[in-house]
Amino acid sequence: MNGPAYASTLELMSGVILVCAVVTLWRRSLSAVVKALAIQGFALGAVALILGIRQHDAVLIVVACLVMASKGVVIPTLLGRVVASDPSSREATPIVNVPASLVGAAALTFLAYGATQPVVALIPTTAGRLVPLGFATLLIGFFSMVVRRKAISQIVGLLLVDNGIALVAFLATAGVPLLVELGASLDVLLAVVVLRVLAAQMWSKFGVLDLDQLRELRD
Amino acid sequence: MSNVSLVITAAAGSIAAIAGGALPAKTRVWAAVVLTWGSCIAALVGALAVLHTGQSSVLNSSQILPLTGVTMVLDPLGAVFVVVTAVVAIASTLYWLGYASHGLSTRTASAALPLFVTSMLLVPAAGSVATFLVLWELMALASLMLVLVDQRRREETRSAAQWYAVMTHVGAAAILFALVLLSAHAGDQTFAAIRVHAHHLPTAVRNTAFVLAVLGFGSKAGAVPLHVWLPKAHPEAPSPVSALMSGAMVNLGIYGIVLVGDRLLGGGPVWWWLMVTALGVVSALFGALHAATSTDLKRLLAYSTADNMGLVLIGVGASGMFAASGHRAIASIAMVAALLLTVNHAAFKGSLFLSAGSVQVATGTRDLDRLGGLMRRMPITGAIFMVGALSIAALPPFNGFVGEWLLFQSLLHGLPTSSTAVAIAVPVGVAALALTGGLTAVAFVKAIGVGFLGRPRSEEAAAAHEVPRTMQMGAGMLAGLCVVLGLVPVIVLPALGRAAASAVPGAPATTLSGSVDLHLAGLQGVLAPALLAAGLALATGAVIALRQLARRRFTPQPALRRAEPWGSGRELQTARMQYTATSFAEPLERVFDDVVRPDRDLDVSHVSESRYYVEKVTYWTSIGDVIEQNVYRPVISAVHWWGQRARVLQNGSVHRYLAYGLVALVVILAVIT
Amino acid sequence: MLALVVLAVPFGAGVASAVAPWRRWVGWLCTASIGAVLVCGVGLAVRVVHGPPVTAFGGVLRVDALSAFMVIVIGAIGVLATWQSVRYLDAELAAGRCSQRHASLYSMLVQGFVTAMLLAVVAGNVGVMWVAVEATTIITTFLVGHRRTRGSLEASWKYIAICSVGIAMAFLGTVLVYLAALHVGHHEHANLDWTSLMAVSHHLDPGVMRLAIALLVLGYGTKVGLAPMHSWLPDAHSQAPAPISALMSGVLLTVAFYALLRFKAIADGALGVALPRALLVAVGLLSLVVAASLLLSQRDYKRMLAYHSVEHMGLIALGAAAGTRLAIAAVLLHILGHGLAKGVLFLTSGEILLAEGTTEIAQVKALLARRPALGGVFAFGLVALLGLPPFSLFVSELNMVRAETQVGLGWAAAISLVCMAVIFGAVMSHGRHMLFGAGPDGEQVHKTPAIVTAPLIGALIGCAILGVLAWPLAGLLRAAAQVVAT
Repeated sequence: MNGPAYASTLELMSGVILVCAVVTLWRRSLSAVVKALAIQGFALGAVALILGIRQHDAVLIVVACLVMASKGVVIPTLLGRVVASDPSSREATPIVNVPASLVGAAALTFLAYGATQPVVALIPTTAGRLVPLGFATLLIGFFSMVVRRKAISQIVGLLLVDNGIALVAFLATAGVPLLVELGASLDVLLAVVVLRVLAAQMWSKFGVLDLDQLRELRD
Repeated sequence: MSNVSLVITAAAGSIAAIAGGALPAKTRVWAAVVLTWGSCIAALVGALAVLHTGQSSVLNSSQILPLTGVTMVLDPLGAVFVVVTAVVAIASTLYWLGYASHGLSTRTASAALPLFVTSMLLVPAAGSVATFLVLWELMALASLMLVLVDQRRREETRSAAQWYAVMTHVGAAAILFALVLLSAHAGDQTFAAIRVHAHHLPTAVRNTAFVLAVLGFGSKAGAVPLHVWLPKAHPEAPSPVSALMSGAMVNLGIYGIVLVGDRLLGGGPVWWWLMVTALGVVSALFGALHAATSTDLKRLLAYSTADNMGLVLIGVGASGMFAASGHRAIASIAMVAALLLTVNHAAFKGSLFLSAGSVQVATGTRDLDRLGGLMRRMPITGAIFMVGALSIAALPPFNGFVGEWLLFQSLLHGLPTSSTAVAIAVPVGVAALALTGGLTAVAFVKAIGVGFLGRPRSEEAAAAHEVPRTMQMGAGMLAGLCVVLGLVPVIVLPALGRAAASAVPGAPATTLSGSVDLHLAGLQGVLAPALLAAGLALATGAVIALRQLARRRFTPQPALRRAEPWGSGRELQTARMQYTATSFAEPLERVFDDVVRPDRDLDVSHVSESRYYVEKVTYWTSIGDVIEQNVYRPVISAVHWWGQRARVLQNGSVHRYLAYGLVALVVILAVIT
Repeated sequence: MLALVVLAVPFGAGVASAVAPWRRWVGWLCTASIGAVLVCGVGLAVRVVHGPPVTAFGGVLRVDALSAFMVIVIGAIGVLATWQSVRYLDAELAAGRCSQRHASLYSMLVQGFVTAMLLAVVAGNVGVMWVAVEATTIITTFLVGHRRTRGSLEASWKYIAICSVGIAMAFLGTVLVYLAALHVGHHEHANLDWTSLMAVSHHLDPGVMRLAIALLVLGYGTKVGLAPMHSWLPDAHSQAPAPISALMSGVLLTVAFYALLRFKAIADGALGVALPRALLVAVGLLSLVVAASLLLSQRDYKRMLAYHSVEHMGLIALGAAAGTRLAIAAVLLHILGHGLAKGVLFLTSGEILLAEGTTEIAQVKALLARRPALGGVFAFGLVALLGLPPFSLFVSELNMVRAETQVGLGWAAAISLVCMAVIFGAVMSHGRHMLFGAGPDGEQVHKTPAIVTAPLIGALIGCAILGVLAWPLAGLLRAAAQVVAT
């Protein structure tokens, strides 16, 4: 892959990841949110793929395929089923309303740019320049876990955090060693499965997937 | 030689605690007591050797206490406290043999009592910060367990235990920080190293450490306003434990102040010691006043402990002030006075608490207004209490007199040679001493007059019997010491002089001399207590003889008429018409109304037919602790208020919890970039 | 070899309990397997105190003195918890609250949980360590939810949601450390092995490391239960079955702290002590203040114990902030002492819950009079936890305060002492209501079976011995402190 094409596709895919993160804050419909997540998963896989091709790293290409499969297909499908079964699958009244959330996302993106300056300074490549995007995705994911009331939204937020970190890992280090990478992905996958199981239990117990139900344990 | 005795003390004490906890009910008290005696005697032998030779005994082990190891150094100052503790402990455990059936034969109590005694014996021998603190906290824990003996039956006990535990813990935290601060700057945690580096420490560190130490140790010594636990815990503890706490444990608070101020820091500016003296003056007056107005026998004794510790603090403070202004000899005499007061207090307060315990065992109550007439029913206990009361009132020929005389001497002789601040403080101290003496006398006239004389005010008091022999012996032993120390104080004074010399930096080695009479180096005062006693006895005898003679010779024998005490010569109909403890203290309460703030309530109910006829009058009065009400209660409510407020932090919302994390992340990222 | 055995034995027992239907002997087998871990831990400790670290799989597993110490901690508290698990499952089965299949699942998960913790401490690679710590989160989520009540569901959700975010941040921190290591110069050798990171720690890019250590403190801090990410802890620890609470509170928190200790040593090399120290002091003090505030009007005794964990984690964070050899040795001793005391208390609270049917402080009265053995163990456990001698927590707290004062953190030590005093008062008043007083008239004294109390009393005695005698741990503590101290 030649220089300009590499740089622009890498920038495009990284940009898509951040935009998808913002979309999850913007859209209230959970099915739209899950779609954005799927797109983000594919974009993340694409980033890994591009880097793998660029660096002739077969392991990274395999990882890219795994990422696309798990984050682009498996997880969104899992979540999509829950959303489909819940008729009221809308984020009706988020804790912070949508415009304010978007302002918050902008502020967090700024912060991400500021905080990652040492990383950018250390890797003076195209990939290095894009690291702040991963950071911003992480912060936005965290933010959406804070402001969204639905169980599914919180799972999506966690996945945003994870995707953001994975983006940083790919861009900054072309992936951590394989053993760790596999372990980490498996763990995240399992965490999502566990959350999904808990959501199912919540559904059967309370009949809603609203996290406001979970306020029994307090001081 | 003497470090072997430290090992034996620790070993015997630990085995005693294990035996007390493990053996079956029949044997455990005996085993624990005998082993505790072993521990006490070993400590006594070691401490006397140190006092005799003036050589410290040293013991080190890195195998005990993780990360620091143990360092024990017993010097003459510590040895004085070891001897006092050992003697009070032997008497109290002897008493325990008879008392055990009153709740002190449980596993917990039989294990905690030896542990308490042993840790008190070893605290003055601690030679490093860690050793000291471990022993100090063990002592606190063991005593807390003993205070709790009665917890199942009495809510007051549970509350007292909580006050005690919290105050002790706060005090221990202050002590811990003070000592750690010193050791951190010295680079090593042995007292010897701290002493070497003490003069190179920044002034702020020295001041902080000393103030914290005074607060921490002051609360153990019952110094007002840190005394609030004392009038709660001492009465609620079983009496042998009260005797140990009051006769031995509170002394260690004094030891701690001397240890940090004089031994470790090598003395300090005048304001340190002014602070100590002020604490002493306030404690003495406040304690004496409350003792005079208390109607609960053990509470009275507890307040009187605060009073006596106040006197000791005046001595310690005066010693520090004189040393700071360069008068080492007088400083040393003041220190001897403080130590003598401590020794005396242990003897008479021990015997008083033990005999008060006997009264409680015999009658089931401590309320003076329900006692009376015990002198006839419990003559031995009554006599013991009488000796203790006369001693504490500082009447010759008992021991209290000598101590207070010495303190007066040092204060009066220090006066002309001191700076302005001291010149103001010393007369205040003297005045406090005088007023305290008067109030103490009132308190104990009340205790004897209402509690032991007169007619019984309740059926329980009327049915009282003398207690078992071991209990009498335990209390009597200490009362005997009061007499001995009063007649021949010279048997302890050389040792106290050596201890004071090791405490006051740069003091002359001998400040007291004489065998029968007592000379003070550089001062005019001379006292010969034994001669004084003999003189007193002669004079009393002479007065009686002359009176008898005169009666025979000059006046015809009038018809002798016996009347009830407190009856003003009238024929008394009922015991309820006697003077009570409450009424005895009432004038005093009026005079000191602003300080004691009694709650009074008069409830008059009339007969329904006419308002001119009264059916019933209920008069109710109680005296709380002003300091507890106005200082501690507001703090406690503020803390509770905060506890209620803080609950919103954890309101159950997962969003809020995550928000804490996000905010933390954002703040940290913002700060580090 | 021994390092592998440590992992294989509990894993094998876990497989066995998954295959065999649950019987009591399966439970005892699990206990025995953790006992074997404890023995192996002691064996490892003896080997590594004087010799070089034990490695396996080309450095993936690596046991030095610090790891060996942690294996001992896990083994000791693991034995207690699995011992009590047998009784817990018996009671649940008898009450019909759980099926045979669930009992098997529980046993299997506990073994997996312990194995994951062991993997975290014997891993030579910080990435593998991260994977193991994350695995504990997932496994324990099921265990927290084992009772399948509304409360345990809620606690599980909060637990996994908050901890997953936290641990994700720790992963990002790990990635950044790796990035910094890649740029040291010799790319081809860069890996996440703890030894190679320590070797190059002085050349790591300080800018990236600043970011990394901040994320690691916050991330692993979440699993440690340090404020402000502590909020899952009282819910999870109070809702989990007692043996699980004991394991989570007594060991899991400190296993995560072990990870922090390792990373702090790397960051100290790259950045100097100032920033890691400032971060740890901040979260440590915040934890102490939060714990003190929320303990004041606590109404649930299991939550009370949980906040106590927050307090102790704050204390060891302060100790680690000081970072000297003395401080680290004291921190490690505190980890063991806290684990034993907290394990005992959670297990006792499980028994109290079983007997009284409530976790409310106000509903439990006069335990010492009504259930002397249980009340006595609970009382002494509290005494140990409040840091009174002869229990080892006193010695470790004292030495942490000493170390902090020596490095100029005296002010922080003073604040921690104030918080501890407030906590002492609060716990004293809660304990007073639960323990003291007389039972209702006519009620007879309840006996607690010796099989329940024996291990608890044993653990308390062990904690007291560790607080009095220096020799059992002196060499190991010294060697372990050397590994990460500044």
